Amino acid sequence: MEEILSIPHWVVTVDGRTVTLNAATLAMSWLVMVLLLVVGVWAARRPGLVPSPFQAAVESVIEAFRDLVDESLGKLGPRYFAFIATLFLFILVSNWIGVVPLLQEPTRDLNTTLGLGLIGFVVAHVTALRVKGWKAYAKEYFQPFFFMFPLNVIGELAKVVSISFRLYGNIMGGAIIIAVVSRLVHYVLLPPFLYAFFGLFVGTVQAFVFAMLTLTYISVAIQE
Amino acid sequence: MDITGADLVRAAALLGAGIAMGFGAIGPGIGEGFAAGKACEGIARAPEHANLLTRTMLVGQAVSESTGIYALVVALLLIFVV
Repeated sequence: MEEILSIPHWVVTVDGRTVTLNAATLAMSWLVMVLLLVVGVWAARRPGLVPSPFQAAVESVIEAFRDLVDESLGKLGPRYFAFIATLFLFILVSNWIGVVPLLQEPTRDLNTTLGLGLIGFVVAHVTALRVKGWKAYAKEYFQPFFFMFPLNVIGELAKVVSISFRLYGNIMGGAIIIAVVSRLVHYVLLPPFLYAFFGLFVGTVQAFVFAMLTLTYISVAIQE
Repeated sequence: MDITGADLVRAAALLGAGIAMGFGAIGPGIGEGFAAGKACEGIARAPEHANLLTRTMLVGQAVSESTGIYALVVALLLIFVV
């Protein structure tokens, strides 16, 4: 059981301080980025008016997301479409990569999901500052009463915690269930179905949910 | 075989993990089932909005699932860290 939770570490010493790097998470994140880049370049290699099946598939995913973002952000949509679609695609491929033997999901590490959640948090708040101006933005924190300020701050911070723990818990829990049940049945018959459900299905749903929640946070932040 | 204090702590942690997961799963179970049922009703009434309803249902279910995920994280901490 212990090998599931252990993450290979590199401990680097810089000026007497030790820095711990999660080697597997770093390597897998870069692998996911390279994969996405390859798919993107390949799909746009020879763009035609009559698209090849592969180009059509990639385009349909992108277009579905553009519609979604435009729907909830209105005229600000085009500015945030790339961000939301990138979040979705990165998390999707991150979750799917665990199905391949010897590879593990970067989202299995809380550091990755917390980082992604913080990106969404900062984007939402910077957007709110830009759209409303700092006066209206600061006023939000004193709604509905003056003394609700601490509660509002905690509420904002809890969004980051909940969104990152949700992704991490789903992926980590899925990985543990796969490992435990696979061992129980002696790796006979069941593991492919477990991987299909926890890796592919839950991975897709969670990637979508993460992107949608970030989108919702942004659209709530810009509302008057 | 003597039972030491460490054994008792370990046993309590494992028991706590089971209890946390069991009780933590009740809320999300009820919530997600309720959301799915309401979405079914909505789709039966307006089949042309099935896509939007399914999407909204999935996002809502994932949000109501978060308490269950917190329970899972607490259970994992109890099993592997304590």
